[in-house]
Amino acid sequence: MMKARILLAGVFASAAFAVHADGVLRVTAIPDESPTELQRKFAPLGEYLSRELGMKVEFVPVTDYAAVVSALTADQVDLAWLGGFTFVQANTRGKVVPLVQREEDTRFTSRYIAGTQSKINKMADLKGKTFAFGSVSSTSGHLMPRYFLQKQGIKPETAFRQVGYSGAHDATVAWVASGKVDAGVLNASVWDKLNEAGKIDPAKVKVIGSTPPFYDYNWTVRASLQPALQKRIRTAFLALDPARPEHKAILELQRATRFVPTKAANYAGIESAAREAGLLK
Amino acid sequence: MLNPVHDPLFARRAWHGAGLAVLLALCVAATGFDPRLLADPATLASLAGFTAQFWPPALGGTLLAEVAGATVTTLACATLGLALAILIGAPAAYFGCRTLGEAALSDTRTPPVAAAAGALLRGTLVAMRAVPEVVWALLFVRAIGLGTLPAVLALGVAYGGMLGKVYAEILESQPPEFSRALGAAGAGRLVRLAYGVLPGALPELISYTVYRFECAIRASALMGLVGAGGLGLLLDNSLKMMNGAETATLLIAFLLLVAAADATSRLARRALATPRGTAALALTFTTAVLASLWQLDALWQGGVANLDALARFAAEFWPPDVSAPLWATLAEALWQTLAMSVLGTLLAVLVAVALALPAAGELGVLLQLAARALLALLRGIPDLVWAMLAVLALGLGPAAGVLALALHTSGVLGRLFAETLQNTPPECRQALAAAGAGRATAFAYGVLPQVLPQWLAYTLYRWENNIRSASVLGIVGAGGVGGALFFALSLFQMPTAATLIVAMVMLSWLAEMASARLRAQLG
Repeated sequence: MMKARILLAGVFASAAFAVHADGVLRVTAIPDESPTELQRKFAPLGEYLSRELGMKVEFVPVTDYAAVVSALTADQVDLAWLGGFTFVQANTRGKVVPLVQREEDTRFTSRYIAGTQSKINKMADLKGKTFAFGSVSSTSGHLMPRYFLQKQGIKPETAFRQVGYSGAHDATVAWVASGKVDAGVLNASVWDKLNEAGKIDPAKVKVIGSTPPFYDYNWTVRASLQPALQKRIRTAFLALDPARPEHKAILELQRATRFVPTKAANYAGIESAAREAGLLK
Repeated sequence: MLNPVHDPLFARRAWHGAGLAVLLALCVAATGFDPRLLADPATLASLAGFTAQFWPPALGGTLLAEVAGATVTTLACATLGLALAILIGAPAAYFGCRTLGEAALSDTRTPPVAAAAGALLRGTLVAMRAVPEVVWALLFVRAIGLGTLPAVLALGVAYGGMLGKVYAEILESQPPEFSRALGAAGAGRLVRLAYGVLPGALPELISYTVYRFECAIRASALMGLVGAGGLGLLLDNSLKMMNGAETATLLIAFLLLVAAADATSRLARRALATPRGTAALALTFTTAVLASLWQLDALWQGGVANLDALARFAAEFWPPDVSAPLWATLAEALWQTLAMSVLGTLLAVLVAVALALPAAGELGVLLQLAARALLALLRGIPDLVWAMLAVLALGLGPAAGVLALALHTSGVLGRLFAETLQNTPPECRQALAAAGAGRATAFAYGVLPQVLPQWLAYTLYRWENNIRSASVLGIVGAGGVGGALFFALSLFQMPTAATLIVAMVMLSWLAEMASARLRAQLG
């Protein structure tokens, strides 16, 4: 019985402390890249937000896209970096407010890649091959490429020999490079970053195509966060100025030229694509 | 032996052989399992590229610190998960145990209300344990989101269902006289339990709990594969990024943890022999629970149980999706799951027999040690982890699932087969040898007929188990119904997930019944 009480006390005590700890902004992000990379990218932005908002900013690592949606709509985190599709999911499942997005996110694209060993040179060669999307819940790694493929009459489950989900954009590259799958698709921004960092062996992986542009990532808060704080968060993001060296470093890590305001209506296209692709019911 | 003139059972044997061949062909067709793929140069090259990185394992300071942290988390989750399971299982057994009821005292029929309540309780427990713990973890990760709480809840629910059933069975197996005598003297239910049943049942209750703790550690290490923290999370990241050196380190950590769990379990069983040992065990467990709470509490500060959200999440599963397109997907996925389990088990039997002979010491000490080490490695790595490695070798899909099940199961069956061999009375064989039979003949006629029924029984038990395993391998891309479930849950398509889970449970239930019938025929 003793054990029972302590365990229950533990659970409820943590539950009581969990939400709305004063003076702490709890931030998370969809795990579209490896956890170490997410932490590295967030560190200077977190410090900046903490300074601008005058409150402690805490990054909560989450390893599952859908869990980020659950956490934000259950008010367990305050601010989250979402993809277009995860935003639509959050917006249909709870009350959230999109604040800002990178200028790049207003015309985002995905790249189709193939292993050099696979004898795939153009999109038409993909038929009968094995193919990897990123996470099931990814916009640029799954939803939009699937939507555009289906518009071209390519239904992944029947056109490809096997369809797999690597879980993250950088993992998709690793899968294709190793030959685990013949081809895959990922976020163009991550592809460029890996390329610039020399992390892609051109003898192993090549680009075979691109998607048309679409709206993607944004920073979203739970609607129950105080409106004044929502406004200050938005202002802090918009104030990041590429002309100032200390801001430029933060923006570069986020792979953003600058942040611009965004609104839920921007993602109506993603929502109808998700319905058409059968990923949102 | 197979000469129709001398073998009166020839027709039956031929039928069985033909049936097995057809079954094999169907399973190969459904899973696309082709052993030749393993020898394909392109496959070998990509596999060699990855495994070449295994040596030397990554031993960087940060990684080792992370591994140590994750190991502690894994242990803490297992401990708290088991504590929660006891909190669920013990009361369930207390209320569910038939021999503790008033009716059992006077041999009257149980009143209908109590009978209905008992049936409801048992039904709930069946559902709790029928859903594999990884699936529970997947559900709780989606429902709760953050940290290690999903792992604790998943273990608590799945193992709570098991403990509730087994505890009740242990209580019911006690001689009823004490309880009846106490009842006749007017003692209430709790007193009858405490003085009439518990003294006899306690050692067995604790012993089973210790065994479950060992299982909980292994299961807890896997929870990370679906995002619930611990060692599995690191392993998932390393494998996802194809980092061979890190993977090697984590596999070693994993095997060490499994070995430690094994040793702890043996030590705990020995402690049970004395009252002082039992007291020490209870104290250790309580301390471990408190330490685990303290350890994990920090991780939970951020966001635990929003009970409203949990309830809303659960409500979304009703009503299940019964639309036509899902039936087609479901039929294919279930058939694939079944085929994977059958083919994986059959392949495992071949490997297990080949390894059991040396492991039982038939071929000398040196080969015995080698075979035992190999068997320990094969069964020490769980089928989910084998599946992650197998998709590298065979690509995504059910063929990798077959290979994974075959590898893990051959480790399990190999040990059991070897034990059976060692426990076989040697007289028949010695008599044959004394009459001048060669070694092979003496084995075939003096040993094999004695061990075969037991081997078959083990194989069928394992197949039941493999059906459940096969239905979760899809989570890592190795075919079967698990892939569809992972997909549906990622997209918050809860009605679809509900149908898939029910189908998954039905399949394993049907397999259990089929296996029980086959075993009854054998016996």
